[in-house]
Amino acid sequence: MSTDVPVHVTRTRSGKPATFLEAIAEALWEEMERDERVFLMGEDIGAYGGAFKVTRGFIERFGASRVIDTPISEGGFTGAAAGAAHMGLRPVVEMQFMDFISPAYDVLTNYVATSLYRGAGPLPLVVRGPVGGGNRGGPFHSQNVEMAFFHTPGLKIVYPSTPADAKGLLKSAIRDDDPVIFEEHKGLYRAPHCRELLPQQDHVVPIGKARTALEGEDLTIVTYGLMVHRSLEAAAELARDGIRVEVIDLRTLLPLDEKAIVASVRKTGKLLIVHEDTRTGGIAGEIAMRINERAFEWLDGPILRVTAIDSPVPFSGELEDFFLPSVADVVTAGRYLSRY
Amino acid sequence: MSRDEIEDLLYQGYQGRRLEEGVRRSGFLQWPEHAVGIDTRSIVIARAMKHAVDGRGDLCCPGPMSPGPALAFGATPLEFLRQLAHRGTSPAAARAGGMSWTDLRRGLIGWDGASGMMTQVLAGAALAFAQRGENRAALVFESERALDTGGWHEGVNFAAARRVPVIVVLVASGSAGVGRVRQIEEVARAYGITAVSIDQDSHAGIFATLRAARRRAAVGGGPTLVALEGATDDRWRSHEEFASWALTEGHVTAGELESIRQAAAAGVDHAFARIVKEPGPEPHDALAAVRIGSPPLRPWTRLKSPRPDGVAEAPMEGPSVN
Repeated sequence: MSTDVPVHVTRTRSGKPATFLEAIAEALWEEMERDERVFLMGEDIGAYGGAFKVTRGFIERFGASRVIDTPISEGGFTGAAAGAAHMGLRPVVEMQFMDFISPAYDVLTNYVATSLYRGAGPLPLVVRGPVGGGNRGGPFHSQNVEMAFFHTPGLKIVYPSTPADAKGLLKSAIRDDDPVIFEEHKGLYRAPHCRELLPQQDHVVPIGKARTALEGEDLTIVTYGLMVHRSLEAAAELARDGIRVEVIDLRTLLPLDEKAIVASVRKTGKLLIVHEDTRTGGIAGEIAMRINERAFEWLDGPILRVTAIDSPVPFSGELEDFFLPSVADVVTAGRYLSRY
Repeated sequence: MSRDEIEDLLYQGYQGRRLEEGVRRSGFLQWPEHAVGIDTRSIVIARAMKHAVDGRGDLCCPGPMSPGPALAFGATPLEFLRQLAHRGTSPAAARAGGMSWTDLRRGLIGWDGASGMMTQVLAGAALAFAQRGENRAALVFESERALDTGGWHEGVNFAAARRVPVIVVLVASGSAGVGRVRQIEEVARAYGITAVSIDQDSHAGIFATLRAARRRAAVGGGPTLVALEGATDDRWRSHEEFASWALTEGHVTAGELESIRQAAAAGVDHAFARIVKEPGPEPHDALAAVRIGSPPLRPWTRLKSPRPDGVAEAPMEGPSVN
């Protein structure tokens, strides 16, 4: 096996800023070096290096037994990953696009998520892959899949927005004894503005903890993934109107950091939820209900949401831009809410 | 087969028969109409694997309604009955039913999932054995109806592609899809793996065939498909034939055979006597072991002084809402 280390997993070691994608690759590389039980499975992740080249150079270093090119059968290899996890390994399954996770829905919800509950023991298993629109990928390469799994007790769902969180949370996910769905917005993968210096040491971010991406007094925006960046842009524009926005980056959707959300809403009295996922059945509904239960008396206005419209993700640029939530949408909602 | 193995098989066959008869008589337990895998041949197949109690032996998924192989892997009648009666003391703590459960130390993995899914899971377990270079193999029993599922084919395809040490037994189900099991040689050929049919074999023959398949799997020979017909037609006939054979061949005397039968029956009867006195699960167990470190909230309407926000009773974390 080769001793060469691919450049894209050495940014932090070299003291250089890393992109979101490089942060993911660093996390995988470091965890595979740290723990020989960790192995990767997915379509074209070996010789080809994966559709987005996250695992380029991995097979040369770790070999074909730890970087497994699978048949095109997401259900089958996710089920196999479950079996390997039962036997003490720590599989990380890559969905080439997270849209393709649907064939594995059965095994993930009926088998993997219930394992601990059934007394079959913990099932440490990560299913990761690219999500999200804006790349003109159309209906089958652009979805956000979190809410398909959010309703399933037994799973964890992580959706980071920065390279540092992506790396730290992926390392946590791999070390977690629960199964974790790990979503990576492909619009962040190589985004220049996201590039950042990552901590040199073993960087781990705990699952289940939101972060305050921006502090403010007048209005809380709860969001995650790419929409954190859209919301921060909107917050900057709202600041010019004198509206001080607090942006909460959920980072983990399941379990939801209810404490952080409630604390912020009790401070600002107003809540806007922003997600790229479609509107009906989106996480905004759950968050609104939690605030209704926990902070109703603190609210000074209605809870609002800005989301994608209830439609499959369109292919054409014009249609997709209309479909996706924009900075202008968030600004409009923020101004509306500030008038209460 | 050694004399010990023959005696064990006789004992476990009698156990299975007594269990089924007892369940049917009990009036409060149910044994599925199409229960398969309790017949002696299923037990023989499972006996041919490597057994351990420290998690280092082979792995067996006994299949749907298929407790026979589990007996061979060390499951007890008491555990079956607790599972069937959903007692709080059952291996799955009454949180999951069925006739199988997971105990990795004994090499048991519960059949929990859609038809065909466990072939995927056991293929993955076998992958782990191969990766670590362990002399271990996985065994999974599926109804022949699994042949009609995409999930089963995905599991077999994965197993074949990685040449992992897994043996897949397809049991004629006696329900819709009957006869599909006869096609496994064609299926195996398509995947480039081995198929064996054991319908005409004696129990000793079955044992030898499975031992060979296991040996082949454990040294990188890849998966084997096994067809098992007639398991539901008259599942005790094969056991009686086996007992007669053991008697005729001089492996046991009539007296020994009778004492084995009585010992098995006594154990099962004792288990029945115990479970009728055992309580059901505590309702609060429904909150346990969903996710590590974050059990679900109790219903707020059942708190001592219910308030919709739960504020008066507890801080916000779920676990401390009591």
